[in-house]
Amino acid sequence: MESNRGRTFSRRWFLGAGTASLATAGLGAGLTACGSGSSGAGDGKTVTAFVYGDDAVKVQQAAVDRYNKSAAAKKAGGTIKLQKVPGSDYSPKLRTAMGSPSAPDVFFNWGGGSIRTYEEAGKLVDLTDIIADDPVLKSGFLPSVLAAGDLKGRHYGIPMRGMQPVILFYNKSVFTEHKLQPPTTWDQLLDINAKLKKAKITPFALGGSDLWPNLMWLEYLVDRIGGPEVFKRIQDGDSEGWGDPAVLKAAELVRQLVDDGAFGSKFTSVSYVNGGAPAVFAKGKAAMHLMGSWEYSTQLGKFPDFAKSNLGWAAFPTVEGGTGDVRNVVGNPTNYWSINARTKNKDLAIGFLKECASEAYARDLVANGDVPTTSNAKKLLASAPNPEYAAFQYDLVEKAPAFTLSWDQALGDALGTKMHTEIGKLFAGKSSPSEFVTACKGLK
Amino acid sequence: MTSTVQKTRTVGRGSRKASRVGRPHAVWALPAVLFFTFFAVVPMGLALYLSFTSWDGLGDPRPVGLDNWTKLLDDPRLTQSLTLTVVLTAASWAFQTVVALLLGVWAAGRQRNRAVLSAIFFVPFLLSSTAIAILFYALLDPNFGIIQADTLGSQSGAFLAIVFVGGWQFMPFHTLIYQGGARQIPEVLYQAAAIDGAGRYRQFFSITLPQLRHTITTSTVLIVVGSLTYFETVLILTKGGPGTDTAILPYLMYEAGFKQYDFGYASAIATFLVVAATGLSLVLVRLTGFGSMRSTREGM
Amino acid sequence: MSHDTLARPAGTRRPDGGQPPAAPRLRRHWTRRANPVAGLGAFLWLIVVLVPIYAMVSASLTSADKALTGNPLKPPTDPTLDNYNTVLNSGFGHLLTNTVIVAVAVVGIVLALSVPLAYVAVRTRDRWSNAAFRLFLLGVAIPAQAVVVPLYLLIAKLDLYDTLLAVILPTAAFAMPVSVLVLVGSLRDVSEDLYEAMALDGASPARMLFQLTIPLAKGGISTVVIYSALQAWNGFLFPLIFTQSDGPRVLTLGLFNFVSQFGVNIPAVLASVVLSGIPIFAVYLVARRALVGGLMGVGGK
Repeated sequence: MESNRGRTFSRRWFLGAGTASLATAGLGAGLTACGSGSSGAGDGKTVTAFVYGDDAVKVQQAAVDRYNKSAAAKKAGGTIKLQKVPGSDYSPKLRTAMGSPSAPDVFFNWGGGSIRTYEEAGKLVDLTDIIADDPVLKSGFLPSVLAAGDLKGRHYGIPMRGMQPVILFYNKSVFTEHKLQPPTTWDQLLDINAKLKKAKITPFALGGSDLWPNLMWLEYLVDRIGGPEVFKRIQDGDSEGWGDPAVLKAAELVRQLVDDGAFGSKFTSVSYVNGGAPAVFAKGKAAMHLMGSWEYSTQLGKFPDFAKSNLGWAAFPTVEGGTGDVRNVVGNPTNYWSINARTKNKDLAIGFLKECASEAYARDLVANGDVPTTSNAKKLLASAPNPEYAAFQYDLVEKAPAFTLSWDQALGDALGTKMHTEIGKLFAGKSSPSEFVTACKGLK
Repeated sequence: MTSTVQKTRTVGRGSRKASRVGRPHAVWALPAVLFFTFFAVVPMGLALYLSFTSWDGLGDPRPVGLDNWTKLLDDPRLTQSLTLTVVLTAASWAFQTVVALLLGVWAAGRQRNRAVLSAIFFVPFLLSSTAIAILFYALLDPNFGIIQADTLGSQSGAFLAIVFVGGWQFMPFHTLIYQGGARQIPEVLYQAAAIDGAGRYRQFFSITLPQLRHTITTSTVLIVVGSLTYFETVLILTKGGPGTDTAILPYLMYEAGFKQYDFGYASAIATFLVVAATGLSLVLVRLTGFGSMRSTREGM
Repeated sequence: MSHDTLARPAGTRRPDGGQPPAAPRLRRHWTRRANPVAGLGAFLWLIVVLVPIYAMVSASLTSADKALTGNPLKPPTDPTLDNYNTVLNSGFGHLLTNTVIVAVAVVGIVLALSVPLAYVAVRTRDRWSNAAFRLFLLGVAIPAQAVVVPLYLLIAKLDLYDTLLAVILPTAAFAMPVSVLVLVGSLRDVSEDLYEAMALDGASPARMLFQLTIPLAKGGISTVVIYSALQAWNGFLFPLIFTQSDGPRVLTLGLFNFVSQFGVNIPAVLASVVLSGIPIFAVYLVARRALVGGLMGVGGK
């Protein structure tokens, strides 16, 4: 609706809406007294940053406050204004804003597919050269994390929150009671399942009604069976990539788990977001939980005793005959800040991004329970709420040959939503593994 | 609407002079019409225009002719979605009409306890759809909820949950409409029926129901239109699942627009919905003569 | 002719439910007879209504670490007001003020525009007023989420983005069709004889509207007040898309302070729902008598 060159709406928008313009003239006068007009890419004195408005936002707020007082901000002649967008509707809100005069200058995103359309529309500042020329940014972040949010090998985002690898969590007391060890191979995992079921314990908690927790199983299985290249091909836009035998095999293993009752009989109505799945896990009704690293802080909030003494963590096992490296990780590498190409004060925006590579910022993240993706983070982890857990995550990600971005984030909202539906059908038994593959190949 | 014309004439005949003097000029309606046109009809027109374009919300909309419309008709999900929408609408109508009608007639009584209960019955309508959906999502948790079953994991369960939650939320408004309607039924009708020896149930079917005819129409139109545009609850409770078992049309529209940013396609679905809802309410209104302007004591 | 007699034609029962001053009856008035079967049904519905509300209030009094871990019907073991503190400390007052402004403005606009329209539609009945009424009859079917993007462009064009007016104006517009429907139903039951009587006195249409129609249609009007206030109070989509800063933020958006990427702080969300429900419930209690009682007076026979 808006050209990239200026701030005026395209005339075509109002084709057939002549009445609108007429009425605008009449209504426009005198109605604007109620508040400040649009902010957005205004005079360059105030640079707006959209951020996902949850608890963790205090870390970004502190960074903004720090930066606004800094010499760098004074030199660039302006201040940053943080806009906390209500979480669950962040994406639609960002999309409507980005097409309008009130677009943010800097915005939170998930990298990869979540920013592809903005890149295609020429709305992003290509940060590749800026990062290469800037010592702070260049050496500031773990390379695998910086790269995970790339589009066609170019950087468009700077990491700004903690890493969120997917981890196999287990309930230590259940494992001790039944003399079990976390599985390192798929066969061991099936073996453990059989023992747990005999003891009337659900092997895995799964918040199937949220759909995205299901996805984690396929992400790891495809990686372990066929390596990270299988999904990379799909991510790069080749939907035939779904036809890779590794995808079918992974879907069959999932189907087998579901049929075996590995997730219990009611998992399709269990929710993670609500706290249902974490509660089942913490109370020992389920023995394991494949989940993002935020599971620890979720449990710490709801079941602190469990989180402190009985929550165990391990890497996802290998699958016999698979070619994927057991050190590979899937999940959300982190979240990123990207810059709107239309910003009036790029220096100010870039200066703010550098602030997010600072030690003060990393320290705030650590205090918040996050594991920063900055290269200076390792030495800070000793002060983390749980240093052992933080170090485990950091090592996992630092050593990973490949970090596959969550498929839904990598593909973007448009495809991601449709894929969620297909995965939901596979888990609910509404489509067979081969039907799943066919359906995914047809996604566009 | 012939009946309107006839009725108008009959009314006008007796006091033509007075009527002409005492009637406001149609221009009084103009502010409302302009306001509504500007903020609802014009955007709807733009949505119609968008349905003939391809637009992702960022660049300029690109005209694509009938592409979105052929895509809509070819979409394998359309048939399923349409069926689901119709069934959901019918089920919601049945549930809400039966309960609201009975409650409304009951609440029309003047006992103190009925007044107190009616006040409590109204509470769900005070909460937002989002809040209600979040509440029921928690209450339907299969391990820690009120009904510890795989409710949202089966098609029938998820479907019933949506019908129930929608009914729970909107029942108060319809109850209120029926309560008002029932209180206007002239007392003499019941007295006459009582003299004829009609019992309570015969009175209900031969007096109350027919007298509430227009109230039922109003309520029905609102339920039908409401169900056809109902999606927040689906979004939070089931996300169209399990699989696509509860993916009703408004949900498909939301997904196309706000998840897939295919605003052209979303606009095509929206236009389709508006046409369908409008058509349905017109049929209802025409069938029952509600649109006519005659005075109906028994109306709401 | 005084307007009191007009507003309360002979035989109309008093809206407050007092015994009608009518001739003695052999049987009690039908609306006063007890009906055990219906009573039982109403009691069942009461349970259906109360159980979720009870669970909501109970969960809002539970600390976040205990929510959703046991039977939701059991009373909280250690009730706490922490969730309410959390909500009140995250700018609740400001959100409430904004929401009240939005609700009052929406109700004002809806009444100011819909009442004359309904009056014309019922009284004038010429081609133009019928067309106007039909516009709203069809408008009932326009879903807000279908037009939110085009509307966004209008709002931006009017330079109203991120203001309370950006929420107020579209919310009012989308509350109008149902309001008009309700008002027309209510207004057309005002007896023609009463208008004629006033016309003989030489009353202008405006005087009839204020002295006859509005007093007699107060049931319909109260319904519209409650309906449009609730639309404003609980609206989510318009505030989300048309505002962004803290300044014009309303209560429904504040709810999402407690929703994060991977979890919902359910007790805090529910506490926030309870808190935002209380003011509108108070308004409802006050308006209820007019609401139902007023509907009663409409027929006037």
